[in-house]
Amino acid sequence: MSFSRRNFLIATGVAAASSTVLSACSSGNSSSTGTGKQEAAKAHTTTVKIGTAADSQGPAPEVSGARKGGKVYLLNDDDFSHLDPQRVYYAWNSLAVIVLARTLTGYKVGDDGSMTLVGDLATDTGTMKDGGKTWSFTLKDGVKWEDGSDVTVDDVRHGFERAFANFITEGAVYAQTWLTGTQEYRKSYPGPFKGNKHLKSITTSGKTITFHLSEARPDFNYVVAMHSYAPNPVKHDTKQNYDKKPFSNGPYKVKSHQTDKSMVLVRNEHWDPKTDPIRNAYPDEFDFTFGIEAETAADRLIADSGNDQYAVSWRTVPQAKVQQATAKAKDRLFEDLSSGTSVYWINQTRVTDIKVREAIIKAWPTAGIRSIQGGTHRGDYATGIMSPLVAGYKSQDVWGKLKNPAGDPAAAKAVLKKAGKLGTKVVYAYQQDPINAKVKVVVENALKAAGFDVVTKGIDSTTWYDQIGKVDNEYDIYWGGWSADWPTGYSVFQPLFDSHNVVDQGTNYCHLKNPDVDAAIKAATAETDQDKANAMWAALDKQVTELGAFIPDVYMKRLYLHGSKLGNVKMDPNFDGCMLYKMYVKA
Amino acid sequence: MTSTDSQPFLSVKDLKVHFSTEDGVVKAVDGLSFDLVRGKTLGIVGESGSGKSVTNLAILGLHNPDSTAIDGSIELDGEELNGAPEKRLEHLRGNKMAMIFQDALASLSPYHTIGTQIGEVYRKHTGASKAESRARAIEMLKRVGIPQPDRRVDSYPHEFSGGMRQRAMIAMALVCDPELLIADEPTTALDVTVQAQIMDLLKDLQREFGTAIIFITHDLGVIADIADDVLVMYGGRCVERGPKAEVLRTPQHPYTFGLLGSMPSLDGPVDVPLNPIPGSPPSLLNPPTGCRFHPRCAFAEKVPDGRCAKERPLLEIVDGRGSACHLTDEQRREYLTDTAAKAH
Amino acid sequence: MLRFLVRRLLGAVVTLLIISAVTYMLFYAVPRDPSRIACGKVCTPETLDVIRHNMGISDPLPVQYWHWLEAIFVGRDYPGFGHCDAPCLGYSFINREPVLATVWDRFPTTASLAIGSAVVFLIFGIGTGMLAAVKQGKPLDKIASSASLVASSMQIYFVGPVALYLLVYQSHLLDQPSYTPFSENPGAWFTGLLVPWLVLALIWTANYTRMTRSQLVETLTEDYVRTARAKGMSRRNVFFRFAWRGAMGPIVTIFGIDMGVLLGGAMITEKTFSLQGIGLLAVKSVINNDLPMLLGVMIITASFVVIANIVVDACYAMIDPRIRLA
Repeated sequence: MSFSRRNFLIATGVAAASSTVLSACSSGNSSSTGTGKQEAAKAHTTTVKIGTAADSQGPAPEVSGARKGGKVYLLNDDDFSHLDPQRVYYAWNSLAVIVLARTLTGYKVGDDGSMTLVGDLATDTGTMKDGGKTWSFTLKDGVKWEDGSDVTVDDVRHGFERAFANFITEGAVYAQTWLTGTQEYRKSYPGPFKGNKHLKSITTSGKTITFHLSEARPDFNYVVAMHSYAPNPVKHDTKQNYDKKPFSNGPYKVKSHQTDKSMVLVRNEHWDPKTDPIRNAYPDEFDFTFGIEAETAADRLIADSGNDQYAVSWRTVPQAKVQQATAKAKDRLFEDLSSGTSVYWINQTRVTDIKVREAIIKAWPTAGIRSIQGGTHRGDYATGIMSPLVAGYKSQDVWGKLKNPAGDPAAAKAVLKKAGKLGTKVVYAYQQDPINAKVKVVVENALKAAGFDVVTKGIDSTTWYDQIGKVDNEYDIYWGGWSADWPTGYSVFQPLFDSHNVVDQGTNYCHLKNPDVDAAIKAATAETDQDKANAMWAALDKQVTELGAFIPDVYMKRLYLHGSKLGNVKMDPNFDGCMLYKMYVKA
Repeated sequence: MTSTDSQPFLSVKDLKVHFSTEDGVVKAVDGLSFDLVRGKTLGIVGESGSGKSVTNLAILGLHNPDSTAIDGSIELDGEELNGAPEKRLEHLRGNKMAMIFQDALASLSPYHTIGTQIGEVYRKHTGASKAESRARAIEMLKRVGIPQPDRRVDSYPHEFSGGMRQRAMIAMALVCDPELLIADEPTTALDVTVQAQIMDLLKDLQREFGTAIIFITHDLGVIADIADDVLVMYGGRCVERGPKAEVLRTPQHPYTFGLLGSMPSLDGPVDVPLNPIPGSPPSLLNPPTGCRFHPRCAFAEKVPDGRCAKERPLLEIVDGRGSACHLTDEQRREYLTDTAAKAH
Repeated sequence: MLRFLVRRLLGAVVTLLIISAVTYMLFYAVPRDPSRIACGKVCTPETLDVIRHNMGISDPLPVQYWHWLEAIFVGRDYPGFGHCDAPCLGYSFINREPVLATVWDRFPTTASLAIGSAVVFLIFGIGTGMLAAVKQGKPLDKIASSASLVASSMQIYFVGPVALYLLVYQSHLLDQPSYTPFSENPGAWFTGLLVPWLVLALIWTANYTRMTRSQLVETLTEDYVRTARAKGMSRRNVFFRFAWRGAMGPIVTIFGIDMGVLLGGAMITEKTFSLQGIGLLAVKSVINNDLPMLLGVMIITASFVVIANIVVDACYAMIDPRIRLA
């Protein structure tokens, strides 16, 4: 699943360099894509459901009008930081890895963008026992590595086990923690390379692999869809070097890869479409060129000449190019919700009075900020932290942000006055880049109008997370973005609001330590009925919003361009870029 | 050689050199005539800006044609130089006519060896080989009295002393045995001993080759030493001309008289204060009317009707002697004496 | 000469040491932790320790710097990566590529860009400057002077995209900028770099035009130039052997320094034309907190500048015999 923090961390850096990603679009022309106000968000409220064994059978449903063959060109600025699945956490890397590394489960994306969790390598989405403490998956027949050998349960286990190795530090750590029962999981199991020992908590039998977890994880079948938990071929594990040339079991394999320059993916002849319910894999080849700035990519895609007609970029159309793109390439633009939610955290350790938090939220100039950051292209106004792409999402406008996105400093002032807190000092931290400098002004004015004594502090974008990640940071309000690692509430609320995560560089950025919230997280996590669990998460979304843990901003959107000879170019709801495995080259 | 002894070797007639500048036309030389025969030395004297150097650059044709208008006639050995094609002038320069510049350090290329700079002139004009021209350069260095010429030939100008540089400069000018040599204050920056050596050298060379020399200086002592004839320039014009002895002994122009007065005498009493001419040289953009010297002339009021300020005095040359002044002969005899002692 | 070289090389080493130490300190002067780069979303202190160990940054700053220096001369063992042979500049924090190999891999792009555009801007810049100096004050001079004034005030990030739009996207006259190694396909190397060369050269040409003109205008009035003419040397000879010789010194000096800078990567040009050179590598390492890569780029580009300075001084001494190397 996508990894918000890393995405945003990169985003901050890129924004500092070329002010592209964060400030995706202009506030201007939105007629082609934006549907205005909140319809878009409602339209995108995706049903995330769990599929059956039948749903898990390949091949993937044909895309109408699609044909096989052809070559697609990717115009990207950055290379993939990792292709070793265990080291993959960034959505950026997953966009490519998804056609190289299959996982036990995966998401079958419908034409409408709906997601169905299905068995990818496994025959179904797994069997849960002991209230979610034991999970079993059985491998399909005919799933093979690029050398034609079978993907075995040993390979699956090896994938989980090598995640403990010292050189694997970038990937997810959920399974490691649950399989050992401790956060310091390396101490209880050093990985498969020292003494060739296996994890006791994973057992295999025939084609079935069983995980014995230390705590109930009713949504573990979502977790194993993460690339961090993809199988790794025991016989072909080149350890550190695997990152440079991974061994594929997906529809494509790496033909060549020059770091930061280019990568060519060609068909893996041993991939059998009949085993794969997710991937269509129409083109024969993908040629990646790295180092192409977003502006250049947009120019080339707008010009649409030569090979660029077969090209697409995973970088959003920069603000400066949106108007031109809309005028010249309207039919080749595509925009969709990304998995990220943007919020402004309110530091609970410093801003302890709920009335003060309420005043801040009421005064907050959400509409003004959004128009600076690209208007409707920036995203749809958010009501909480949970994205519409997470199972169970409900629009619950606690603070009336949809009715009055501009904010109401007068009402805020009244709240503040009543609480006797007029003139309260608030420290707003922001990233030092041109866009956020403009945002700062709007924020400052709104808070001043509400009767606050505003102090603003600029922070270098490259150290943003290091700064705000300190528990004893000296800021009251700071921006943050989040997207779930998998589309259930656990992946939102546990990292962000569990009181255990109020540590330096922890994920509880607002420092919320609320026993009720902790208990609610625990209860929803343990709920085995996923429908009930989803409702509990939605209630929690309302609860933390009411507590004033953050100021809801937007459900973020992304705008992309593609060449005229490509068809069915659509956003992957998990990884915030177009899906390689669904597009085709027009005749 | 086409000239005969009766014909002057170099004949300059009514030469005018006018520069156009942003401020207007500078009349650097405004109607100058003189003749020079082979084997003789003409000393041209005058303050800075009097047009001495400009005249000689005009003879060599070194002025930028874009900004300079040259009028009149410059005949060298019967050949008109003014307006001659550049190619022809290139052939003559350094060959038939050569020039020694005053500041040898600045005038020699810092980027080439002395030998190269001397040799290339020889190669250019004689078509000699590299080795031949190098041998010639050594020979010339030897002739001008540079010790160890075969070694010093590969030195750069900055490795030479001031006197040696000046000798090298002379060697360079003489390498093609020029028939006309223009020496533009060649000894100004040198000490007296070296100065004397270089003067002797020039005299020797003249004796040997019968070279006609134009010697430009503001130092009448030097003129006394080397010149046969003297031409005194002021404000772009000739104010007095004549054989050296006559001009120095019995100057006919108050300016010459003034120059002689401002000159320290070698054998005179050391404590006699110098007596420079008061005032400053005339502007060539807006020269004074009438006699250009009249604003500074001590005797201008001696001439009736203010003619000095109105009327340009004509230069009348009789037997190579004459001056441009409104004073009468009697007045001259009266005012411009007491200089004889100074000249010698 | 030997004395000169020894003295200057020693100076260069000291310069590079200072640059690397300052870079090291500046990097850590802002509160950032490079180990965070390689840490997952839920980042435990234990994992951070493992990463710091992997990266070789678990020691105190001076010790780290010492290890970094030591590795250049004797190599270094990296846990999990084996031995990195001397001269070792370490591995990227981001993608674990060896720094030295990465920099050398990028270098041909930057060098091609620099040398190709240098050829263009030297020919046009000096040529136009010479013409302007010879035709001083005439219409040609005035046109050249004002054109170079306009060109020198232009910026790559403006001219680059405009050139791309006009020459590539709209008219398809020239190829999309790209880098193909010369050894692989000289034709593609040339056509791929033509637009960047021209754009980079356009801006640099102006500087060289103005410099050449002003230098020549000065040397053409030098006494030794007049002497050369008085010797009967042809105008051409006088111009090239005397006036130009005198003008060359300062131009060579500036060119040497410019070349040092260009070989260190033309960041904006590389960015504009998406060329993966040293400049872009430097920008990325800064953005990514990639200290080893940043240091590697800094050291190598600083070396170019330092070497360029030495070469310039040596060249100047060759051009002007008055300068002595010591």
